[in-house]
Amino acid sequence: MYKSTGFISFFLRRLTGVALVLYLFMHMWVIGSSLGGPASFDQRLAMVQGPVFTLLEVLLLAAVIYHAIDGLRLLIVHYFKVTEYRKSLFYAVLATTVLIFIAGAIPMLVFFFESL
Amino acid sequence: MTTKTVTVRVQRFNPEVDKKPHLQSFQVEMTPETTLLDALEGIKATQDGTLTFRRSCRHAICGSCAMNVNGRNTLVCNQPLSRHLDRHDRVTIRPLPFLPIIKDLVVDRSNFWEQYRRVKPWLIPPDELPETEFRVSPEEVAAINDAEQCIMCGACYSSCQVVALNKTYIGPHALLKAFLRVMDPRDSAVAERLADVAGTDGVYRCHTIFNCIDACPKGLDPTRAIETLRQMAQKRAHYEAERRERQKRLAEPTAPVAAPEAVTE
Repeated sequence: MYKSTGFISFFLRRLTGVALVLYLFMHMWVIGSSLGGPASFDQRLAMVQGPVFTLLEVLLLAAVIYHAIDGLRLLIVHYFKVTEYRKSLFYAVLATTVLIFIAGAIPMLVFFFESL
Repeated sequence: MTTKTVTVRVQRFNPEVDKKPHLQSFQVEMTPETTLLDALEGIKATQDGTLTFRRSCRHAICGSCAMNVNGRNTLVCNQPLSRHLDRHDRVTIRPLPFLPIIKDLVVDRSNFWEQYRRVKPWLIPPDELPETEFRVSPEEVAAINDAEQCIMCGACYSSCQVVALNKTYIGPHALLKAFLRVMDPRDSAVAERLADVAGTDGVYRCHTIFNCIDACPKGLDPTRAIETLRQMAQKRAHYEAERRERQKRLAEPTAPVAAPEAVTE
């Protein structure tokens, strides 16, 4: 491992990318297993509104936002000559991710704690 | 002259004795002028003659002495020891990462050279050569972005995370060389070169991690070269036609040459 901001961005991109693929399977399972009528639907809904799934959902939000913003950064790198701003771009991605994540996670957590 | 004693930690590995590499500390007397290479030479001369490393020119042009200093790839010959000391007056020198170690600080660079040969790093001249000389404009030279200054030290190759994971990747050094040839108006194999670097082991394998830029002791930008190749590879026929057109004018002056001003004294 050669430590650098570039490596951190690459590692986070891989991590969130793999996490999103795994999420997709979980998503298909949740949807597929809730199709057995009103009772099974309600049961599944109660499960995904529990604390574990809420936490996973908040993590999912973080992964989606980072992966999306990092993708925008890569497009900028691909199409404009900005390699000398590589570190600033990485920190800009982190800052944007944190801002959007906070804005998104607060309503999710407020909704969760109100429903307790 | 002020001298002080500092600790140089060197990664040692003797394949005949050791199972895995280990760090060994040496106490070295230094002055402000001492380079990292001076420190290694001093250790080899006075403390442990078995210490093995590559070096040749000591002027940052041969590319022999690239090593990993405190986790960063660099040449040791042009780096002052004082600049790399931590707050305990200590520096750690390891061989280039991700490459097989032969002994101590010497790594096996066979794969590096194999990938280099793969991009045909030589000039493929046009069929009709000009009688006198090729004329290349200042803009065309500027577009090469100093890529010809590469000294093939391997610092970028061995810092690349993609190389670490995939030994068939062409690598930043060879792609920079391919870029140099593709941008050279005298080269007549643009489409072929672009097709080669656009394969599965080429420019699209790069994850734009930028380690190559950070590692380059010459301040070159392999990532930008790779990005340029990526864009050009999508329009191979266009650039091939452009090059053929350009090569019809290779012997002509590219711009009126200003007469040199008279020297008056």
